Amino acid sequence: MAEISTIARPYAVAAYKLGKEQKSLAKWSEMLSFATAVSNDAQMQAYIQDPKVVASDLENTFLKVCGDKLNEQGQNLIKVLVEYNRMSILPAITSAFEELKALDEGTLDAQIIAASKPSAAETKDIVKRLEAKFGKKIEASVTVDAELIGGIKIIVGDTVIDASVKGQLQNLAYTLSA
Amino acid sequence: MQLSTSEISELIKSRLENFSTSAEARTQGTVISVTDGIVRIHGLSNVMAGEMIEFPGNTFGLALNLERDSVGAVVLGDYEHITEGDTVKCTGRILEVPVGPELIGRVVNALGQPIDGKGPVNAKMTDKIEKVAPGVIARKSVSQPVQTGLKSVDSMVPVGRGQRELIIGDRQTGKTAVAVDAIINQKGQNMTCIYVAIGQKASTVANVVRKLEENGALAYTIVVAATASDSAALQFLAPYAGCTMGEYFRDRGEDALIVYDDLTKQAIAYRQISLLLRRPPGREAYPGDVFYIHSRLLERAARVNEDYVEKFTNGAVKGKTGSLTALPVIETAAGDVSAFVPTNVISITDGQIFLETDLFNAGIRPAINAGISVSRVGGAAQTKVIKKLGGGVRLALAQYRELAAFAQFASDLDEATRKQLDRGRMFTELMKQAQYAPLSVSKMAITLLAANKGYFDDVPTNKVLAFESALHGFMGSKYAKLMDGIESSKDLAGDNEKAVEAAIQDFKATNAY
Repeated sequence: MAEISTIARPYAVAAYKLGKEQKSLAKWSEMLSFATAVSNDAQMQAYIQDPKVVASDLENTFLKVCGDKLNEQGQNLIKVLVEYNRMSILPAITSAFEELKALDEGTLDAQIIAASKPSAAETKDIVKRLEAKFGKKIEASVTVDAELIGGIKIIVGDTVIDASVKGQLQNLAYTLSA
Repeated sequence: MQLSTSEISELIKSRLENFSTSAEARTQGTVISVTDGIVRIHGLSNVMAGEMIEFPGNTFGLALNLERDSVGAVVLGDYEHITEGDTVKCTGRILEVPVGPELIGRVVNALGQPIDGKGPVNAKMTDKIEKVAPGVIARKSVSQPVQTGLKSVDSMVPVGRGQRELIIGDRQTGKTAVAVDAIINQKGQNMTCIYVAIGQKASTVANVVRKLEENGALAYTIVVAATASDSAALQFLAPYAGCTMGEYFRDRGEDALIVYDDLTKQAIAYRQISLLLRRPPGREAYPGDVFYIHSRLLERAARVNEDYVEKFTNGAVKGKTGSLTALPVIETAAGDVSAFVPTNVISITDGQIFLETDLFNAGIRPAINAGISVSRVGGAAQTKVIKKLGGGVRLALAQYRELAAFAQFASDLDEATRKQLDRGRMFTELMKQAQYAPLSVSKMAITLLAANKGYFDDVPTNKVLAFESALHGFMGSKYAKLMDGIESSKDLAGDNEKAVEAAIQDFKATNAY
């Protein structure tokens, strides 16, 4: 079985290329996130997965719910997805699209998890250092997790920089048990 | 509550001292699926092929498949506690095992962890398990013998230091026995031995270890065991781990002997891993690179020259060559040497010792088929005296086989043919040897000399071995000096040959057997 992200990639790439040609990446991003939000609704999920629902009904209902939030091309994407029975991978398409978009814009998403809320200056300093390290613009989102005990943990893509007390304690535990 | 050996306060203290608290940037991923020891991971975008990766619970794995959206890895050891969604970290390291003289006398698993209950290994060094073999410039041709102590092997298929000699045969034909005898005979020969058990029953491994211990061979032997109950990943890795331990000695100008028992099971373990990783199956369902797993392993068995050793040790060891001799074992099914893995390994090695069920059942043990057993490079390394005296054995046995087939149809045989048949029968009997009883060079020389000069001709076939052992006993007690001379010079120089003949005549005149 192929991975979901592998199946989602061609759709995301197609949407990205079309958006880039027509300079409507922002619109696409908006449409995809809206459609994903719609498809993530519990009732809609049940409807999508219901084998008794005919494809044309699903298409009509979904597009009706989305209303004028989707332009013609966005509606076409939904039609194609329904035709190929791929509505369930819509969230994966959206995240793949966002990745492509971020790559194009030269930005990286960074999650900064801290034990206590860092000050604005501290956040700015962290972002500056991360930008120097990764050579790209960093879009940081800060969350607070008291379970870290102290310090911070930064997640940028696959890279994790763990400078938290919790992480250090875990390392110490491994060192002692190894 | 049980105390473990790692809970000594000094050990804990040193670990606390060396613990660094710097923040680390590591690539992470998440587990997508766990199936039969194979884990698929999403993320890990910077992982390298063959890199060690860390799972929760101090478990490690090996990244083998790098695909577009996922990484396929094998877990080294238990995988039951790994679940979907677990975090996986890169370590940036290739798998390493402890190496060094501290391992000698120990039984370790494929990761170099002790499994003999004798406490921690305390090796000072570790080394990568996958290394590139020495190149052409670093090598030297094989010219020193490995004495296996088996008459049939040393006289007909001699093995040299740095050679790769395959031991091949069906199940229950004494393959392990040949290899273990070779290890036992290395006592006092400046040879470190490594016995790698792959996919064998734990009881069988325990038996081998006990036999090595009883014969005093464990004092210079490392046992690497990946038993049948260990994961396929460990069975696949054990030979490379053992090889790395052997290379430690090779690279420092010493000699080492490694036995891979057996590579068929390693190929089977690799096949399991490959199929679970969804790599396309080929002949006999083995993956495409099954030849390469054996060729890159056996290529590391080599004799390296003085320059290489000097360079490697930064001038600490000068003027010494190092060697790693490999005795890989392959188990065939119903004598089928044209199966995939046997043909591969036959073509890689420098010769093979072929063991046959029919011979084994006929009481000819070791059950070596002299006709198809060969050593491609060992002749240059054979001990002088054995080379001089053993040349006739192969010929006599070959002629005997031809005549024996022919003689079944003929009722009346001429004198010459009958003599040749008798001689062949005698040599066949003489090549038999008990297990765990390797012979020294001098004893082997006496036997071969006596046989060549016809002193066995008037001995009844069923008394040949009794005659031989009585002769050895007699020579050892009455002509000890002569024997020591042969043993140290490894040659029958000057009057020694005449002296030995006189001694044999003395024995025949005065002793019963």
